[in-house]
Amino acid sequence: MNSPAQQGHHIVKAFSEELEQLSASVATMGGLAESMISDAIDAIITRDSDLALDVAERDKRIDALQHDVERQIIRLLALRQPLAWDLRVCIAALKISADLERVGDLAKNIARRTRALNEAEPLPLTKSVERMGRLVQRHLHEVLDAYVSGEIAGAVGVWERDDDVDEHYNALFRELLTCMAGDSRLIGPGTHLLFIAKNLERVGDHATNIAELVHYAVTGSELTAERPKGTPLESGAS
Amino acid sequence: MANEHPSVRARTAPDRPRRRDIVITALLGLMVLLVLLIGGVLEPGAWLAASLAFSALAFIYFLTAVTRGAPRPSAQITRPVVSSELESANAMLEKIAVPVLLIGPGGRIERANPAARAFLALGAEGGLLSTSLRQPRVLEAVSAALRGERGTVVEYASLAPIESHVRAFVEPLRMPVAGPMPWRAMLVLADETSSKRAERMRADFLANASHELRTPLASLSGFIDTLRGPARDDEEARDRFLTIMREQTDRMRRLIDDLLSLSRVEMNEHLPPSGEADLAAIARDVVDSLRPMADARAITFELSLPDAPARITGDRDQVYEVVENLVENAIKYSPEGAIVAIEALDNCTRDIAEHAPERLAPQSARLLLAGPPFDPRQRYGVLRVRDNGAGIDRRYLPRLSERFYRVDGQKSGPTAGTGLGLAIVKHIITRHRGGFSVESATGTGSAFSVFLPKPVPDADAAARVLADTASGVDAG
Repeated sequence: MNSPAQQGHHIVKAFSEELEQLSASVATMGGLAESMISDAIDAIITRDSDLALDVAERDKRIDALQHDVERQIIRLLALRQPLAWDLRVCIAALKISADLERVGDLAKNIARRTRALNEAEPLPLTKSVERMGRLVQRHLHEVLDAYVSGEIAGAVGVWERDDDVDEHYNALFRELLTCMAGDSRLIGPGTHLLFIAKNLERVGDHATNIAELVHYAVTGSELTAERPKGTPLESGAS
Repeated sequence: MANEHPSVRARTAPDRPRRRDIVITALLGLMVLLVLLIGGVLEPGAWLAASLAFSALAFIYFLTAVTRGAPRPSAQITRPVVSSELESANAMLEKIAVPVLLIGPGGRIERANPAARAFLALGAEGGLLSTSLRQPRVLEAVSAALRGERGTVVEYASLAPIESHVRAFVEPLRMPVAGPMPWRAMLVLADETSSKRAERMRADFLANASHELRTPLASLSGFIDTLRGPARDDEEARDRFLTIMREQTDRMRRLIDDLLSLSRVEMNEHLPPSGEADLAAIARDVVDSLRPMADARAITFELSLPDAPARITGDRDQVYEVVENLVENAIKYSPEGAIVAIEALDNCTRDIAEHAPERLAPQSARLLLAGPPFDPRQRYGVLRVRDNGAGIDRRYLPRLSERFYRVDGQKSGPTAGTGLGLAIVKHIITRHRGGFSVESATGTGSAFSVFLPKPVPDADAAARVLADTASGVDAG
């Protein structure tokens, strides 16, 4: 309907194709980021250090893709001087690619910690990390779907549900604290798991950011309501 | 004249009109000659010669038309065969339930059969593959095939909106087209979710069953040893032990029942139900069947159900199981003499469906344990079960639907369940493309809500839902 791929009403056909190519590049980046998060979580559950290494390697590709997207956007801005909807699409793509690049970095960090985690005894809390990871992965998937389809409902849905991620994070935080307080040997791996949870929470924030950008690109207005936050009680935990 | 386009003529005009045309033309010519003769313009001798020559010419023409037509029938046999082969291949491609795509240069989708359109939620026009299928490894394989390299098989898993495992076959195809890029990539997607699931279910079932059955088994064998040894002649101890053993075996049976039920639900989780059920009627039935259990603990029900049926898409037996589990939990975890409120709502938006408008307590924790992708057009039937028990600390909420998870301090006691109830609820709800949420405040109580999609009234939306559910990979 409104997706960059489908709004092909430019007099210069090449312009439409370039915009379509741009959104495809961003989608490819998104797919890569999704797969990194998914595999990083898998690596935690299956204690697979090789997979973790592979995830860390993929960060280079996401960086390269981001440069590529930036080049495309600069070219578009310079040659086509887009206005209104086209301009918003360009700016949103620029920002989304930056968000996705950060997601790649966070996935890489999770993968690195996984390798450290594998050297210690298994922790009982990986199930909670998995649940939180899957939720975040799902949010990322939904905003990227919203991006390529141009249907903002999915983006708004994720945006409104960011506090679910926070709720998971806070629950995991408390559980980890209890766990570490009970057994000092768990402090090492527990800390890694804590950072992994924090990274996942930040991936969730990036997904929320992308949701805002998608909304902006499609409608031209910002998601104005106050960003959903956990209740004040939770601020102590984060 | 028509011989330059034998294929066109073969299909559009059979040769009979042509022969008839020749005869008509010849007759017309003869008539003209006759008129000329009557008018006295032509000598009879000249007329005879001209008409004979003309007739001979027409006859030769007629014969050539017949003989030219002669080889045509064989062409007529072969040509339609070729086109019907093509047509049948096309028809098969259209009907086959396996998604098949043809990817052109630059990763553009050139052709996709309906199964592929549903699976990837593609629009009417093609677009680029990378926007509809964001799987880096599949995209890599496709671009390799477009360079004419060897085909590969890639497996990928997608978790949203429903977990699915797909095996993608990528094959390069060389097309008879001019230009620098003759290669196309054929992409065939095989949904292997069921077999993957079955595999994992089996492993999970064995692990869970062996782990959870060990405790009651150990206690049983302990009691048997005691009964054979020290307590052999102790009447009173024997009675007591046998009662406990009976309880343990009951527990084992419940556990196996629940595990089997969970396995069954998980197996079918990716196949959405097609029937319709009435949420309000189900709630009434559940309340009637659980009344004895509630009476035993002096718990009263507070029902708030709509008079009209609250129709939802779903499997009645499974929805019944969901409601039964929730109400049973509420009874179990409420103090004696408490009130359990059961509320059914029809035609709700997602926001209302997820949580009640007003909170149980100002600091209550709310969490969505399972939910479909957000769709503002979808309406839901909601069932909310509220108790005023002890409530659940917010840090335990995310783990509630984990199998065998019990909130600390609930592990023992006569009312202890199998720890599978909410896991079953979650899986049934996920299968129904519905949602499951909890709100709780310690000291005030808990409220569990399930919401199930309403049947879609118009055809357009029905198609959308169908596409969503059929895809299992990608839904907008």
